[in-house]
Amino acid sequence: MRNRPEPSVVKHPHVHRLIENVEKVVVGKSREIELSLIALLSGGHVLLEDVPGVGKTMMVRAMAKSIGAEFKRIQFTPDLLPSDVTGVSVFSQKTMEFQFRPGPVMTNIVLADEINRTSPKTQAALLEALEEGSVTTDGETRVLPDPFLVMATQNPIEYGGTYPLPEAQLDRFLFKFKIGYPSKSEELEVLNRVESRHPIEELQSVLSLEDILEMKKEVKETFVNENVKQYIINIVNATRQHHAVFLGASPRASIALMKAGQAYAYMQGRDYVLPDDIKYLAPFALQHRMILNSDAKLSNATNERVVYDVVEQVHIPTGKETAR
Amino acid sequence: MAKFRTKPINSITHLFIYALTFLLLWEWLRPIPVVTNTAEIHLFVWFAFFSTVLIYIRVPFWLTIPTLMMASIYGLHIIFYEGSFFSREGGWETVKLFSSEAWYNFGLIFSRDFAYLTDPFRTFLFFLLLALICYLLYYWIFQTRRIFFFLLSTIIYITVLDTFTPVDASTAIIRIVIIGFFMLTLLHMLKIQEEERALGKRGSSFISPAWMYTLILMILAATFVGVIAPKPDPQWSDPVPAMRTLVLGEGSGTGSGVRRVGYGENDERLGGGFVQDNNVVFSAEVEEASYWRGESKHEYTGKGWISDPSYVESESVFEDEVDYYMFEELAVLEERTVSIVMEEGVGFSHLFYPGQLKQLDRDSLTYLSGSEEGNNESIQFNTDTVNGRVQAEGEEDITLTSYDLVYDDPTFPIETLREGSEEDPTEIQELYLQLPDDLPDRVVELAEEIVEDEDNRYDKAVAVEQYFSRNGFEYQTTDVPVPDEDEDYVDQFLFETQVGYCDNYSTSMAVLLRALDIPTRWVKGFTAGEEIEETENDRTIYEVANGNAHSWVEVYFPEVGWVPFEPTQGFDNYADFEEEEIDIDVDSEQNNLEDPERPDTGMDEDLLGDLDEGMESETDTEVSGGSDENWIDFSQFLTLKSLLISLVTLVMVMVIYEKQNRLQNHYFIWHYRFMGNDQRYLTAYQRLLWILENEGLPRGEGETLREYAKRMDLALNSQAMSKLTKTYEKVYYGGYKPDGDWEERQKDWEEIVKSLNS
Repeated sequence: MRNRPEPSVVKHPHVHRLIENVEKVVVGKSREIELSLIALLSGGHVLLEDVPGVGKTMMVRAMAKSIGAEFKRIQFTPDLLPSDVTGVSVFSQKTMEFQFRPGPVMTNIVLADEINRTSPKTQAALLEALEEGSVTTDGETRVLPDPFLVMATQNPIEYGGTYPLPEAQLDRFLFKFKIGYPSKSEELEVLNRVESRHPIEELQSVLSLEDILEMKKEVKETFVNENVKQYIINIVNATRQHHAVFLGASPRASIALMKAGQAYAYMQGRDYVLPDDIKYLAPFALQHRMILNSDAKLSNATNERVVYDVVEQVHIPTGKETAR
Repeated sequence: MAKFRTKPINSITHLFIYALTFLLLWEWLRPIPVVTNTAEIHLFVWFAFFSTVLIYIRVPFWLTIPTLMMASIYGLHIIFYEGSFFSREGGWETVKLFSSEAWYNFGLIFSRDFAYLTDPFRTFLFFLLLALICYLLYYWIFQTRRIFFFLLSTIIYITVLDTFTPVDASTAIIRIVIIGFFMLTLLHMLKIQEEERALGKRGSSFISPAWMYTLILMILAATFVGVIAPKPDPQWSDPVPAMRTLVLGEGSGTGSGVRRVGYGENDERLGGGFVQDNNVVFSAEVEEASYWRGESKHEYTGKGWISDPSYVESESVFEDEVDYYMFEELAVLEERTVSIVMEEGVGFSHLFYPGQLKQLDRDSLTYLSGSEEGNNESIQFNTDTVNGRVQAEGEEDITLTSYDLVYDDPTFPIETLREGSEEDPTEIQELYLQLPDDLPDRVVELAEEIVEDEDNRYDKAVAVEQYFSRNGFEYQTTDVPVPDEDEDYVDQFLFETQVGYCDNYSTSMAVLLRALDIPTRWVKGFTAGEEIEETENDRTIYEVANGNAHSWVEVYFPEVGWVPFEPTQGFDNYADFEEEEIDIDVDSEQNNLEDPERPDTGMDEDLLGDLDEGMESETDTEVSGGSDENWIDFSQFLTLKSLLISLVTLVMVMVIYEKQNRLQNHYFIWHYRFMGNDQRYLTAYQRLLWILENEGLPRGEGETLREYAKRMDLALNSQAMSKLTKTYEKVYYGGYKPDGDWEERQKDWEEIVKSLNS
């Protein structure tokens, strides 16, 4: 495995404060916090593929609390119905009308736990919310609040009793990454922190929802140079042509990569995107959007490795071509 | 680039290269039995192999040294002592003997009596040397990655041995070249890989089979072509005899079957080897080096030379008149003087003179009459009008001891020689075209073949003169046979032995030319001798020894006279041949007819342009003279001037090639110092990328500028590249207009380029 790029030093003051705050609760996961924040700022969603108990909920809760956002958690089970997610209209005897009871998805930050354990129908209900930013029940479309971030987790697919998410659905997530186990020293730090009481209880918000909305607006204004766009396209194209890949990344992947790049550049206090940003984010943004062919699977290639492979080979426009 | 050197990494390739160096070491040992009387060379080879292995497997030093010590003592035992080493007595005895020997020899070393070191101890030192060399080789391969020096010294060693000793290295040199190619390429590949690894571009050291096969194929193909390609004969005469003359004072002589070199009287039966004799015959103070003529002979018998002298009394020898004429009106003569002092105990009664003798100075003449010092009255000089021998006669035997001469130093204009008439006077034809009746026909045929492209006497003579050095004849003073009764001396040399000394060469040339109806005669005397010192008035003292005894050829040119030629390999003709200086105007016109641009000398590559111009005058005359003789006139390229010019040009080309990047970088620094501004920030940075790539530090394809900058800063030990890159990113990706950025970053830019140059 090639040495992974380290997350850059965060420079934007808001972002810095936010991450510091979340880190009071979550130990040693600054990169994952940063990625989640990118998703929040660029309006994307995150898929975590993780075993239980590594602090996913804590991280999301801490984030929600830090920005003063509403947080809900949906535990997906095989018998969960779409309406349990989106909400349901019940007949009110008092008003003699149907009244909408919003489901848990109608909130700012949703933790969708073990999303692959529920039926495809329910999955689809959630995923519509992801993509459209709205839910439709009883023929009525209801806009979801802004900001809106879904952190879905899924058990590693090898586990029994799961309904793997179809590729089309996976495409709707901006990032897929793992939180993973903490190191020994980090775990010790976790124990120390929760010894008397849980730090999440005392966590104060450091930003308001308005701040987040303001930031989201600014992110959209981050400049993306033609060459960088070209670079994004080159990378996505390269995944389609890679010999180990059966189905490459879609144009939606290009969009996602660019938006993520904007957010990431913004978070570093830059108002333009660098190829470095794209290169760093590409593995997280692309690995779940492609299917390897059976040869590659047999030879133990992973999606992640293929993306690393691709970004190492794709030419980066530097302007030097004109000097020749 | 020393900056990227990392810890040495050993691999199977290194082992392979190490094995190759061992083979080279073997090449060093191979010729030793030939040049020395070492018999058991295989012992040394095994010892070298043993130490090579020990050093390779990195046996700790405290173990290596005693082991090698024992191994060398075992080797000594095999060479010098008897009995089985492993029996208690044998081995122990050797150790005891050797330690006392060593003790004794250490004493000798400290008292600096190196000559008395005993053989076993010398052998031990040789073992020691071998072990050291093995370690050195290991160090060269595994630490410094440089082996060229060793390869070069191996080649020099082998070629020197091949040239100066009986060692025949014609196959060894092929082996060395193959091994050397392999070593150099493999080492170079490894070096490149290491640099790449240091820059983080490659994970492991590995040479792909495709490369290996290509390498093997290329080397084999190159060697094959090298071996089978036709090789031109040496363009210059073999320098070895000349060097030997210079270094060892060797020479040749008219040793007619005698065993010692020197000036003899009887040349009826030539052939046979001789031994050297460096006893001085006379010393002479003269303005210009020249051959010393004793006499000539005109009749070739098939075995040697005889003559039919016709002496006249030369009364006027002291008054500017000698009855012997060598040159005619068209030779350019310059009068010079010479003082000759004969060595004591050397008994010559005739004169030796350079050029054409004109006058003998009566006042300075001293001689012994019998054993008494003679006075001038009792001496008379007789001149052989045919052969030019000037002989002193007196009542008793005369031995000349010193004399001063006035002589004419000739210069022969080549054009005159070429264009002059070839109608010889009858008296010349009668005397100097004689050949024995039984001269084999093939000699005549060979003569015609040699000159078939020549149309005048001079070119024919030169063709024959040069024939020997171009056709594998070898100069040799020993092992030269005397022809049998039914053999011809010249025929034997030309077609059978092809080895010999001056007599063979000069006689053959004379006979070959006579076969072409060109009058020649055979001249004997001494070569110029060894330069001893320069006197104040620009004259030089030469010491002429027995070893300088020599013979050469004079060829008759009507209206010019007798022109000396020097066919013997390794000897220079001292006669002056003058190329006429042609006036530029005439010259260019003449040239235009043949070649409007430049004479076809085969040297018209651009590289040699300067050189060529510098030598215009020489090459021009050459072309107008006849283009078939480029190889003869090649010596004229070797003037000091042209040599200097070509040397300087070569050095300059090498320096420029070597420094081209440096020069280029200096140019860019200068360029951007004056032309750089904010608008050019982008191009300046891009130029920097270009320069870095040029210096072998390219950006990887998928490497972002930031990563690249970090890597460069690490490699160049600076911060500059990252700073520059940040600004560049802002301008290039961020779309910002540079504002004072160039001014701010120029120092960083220059810092990088300069650190590349250092």
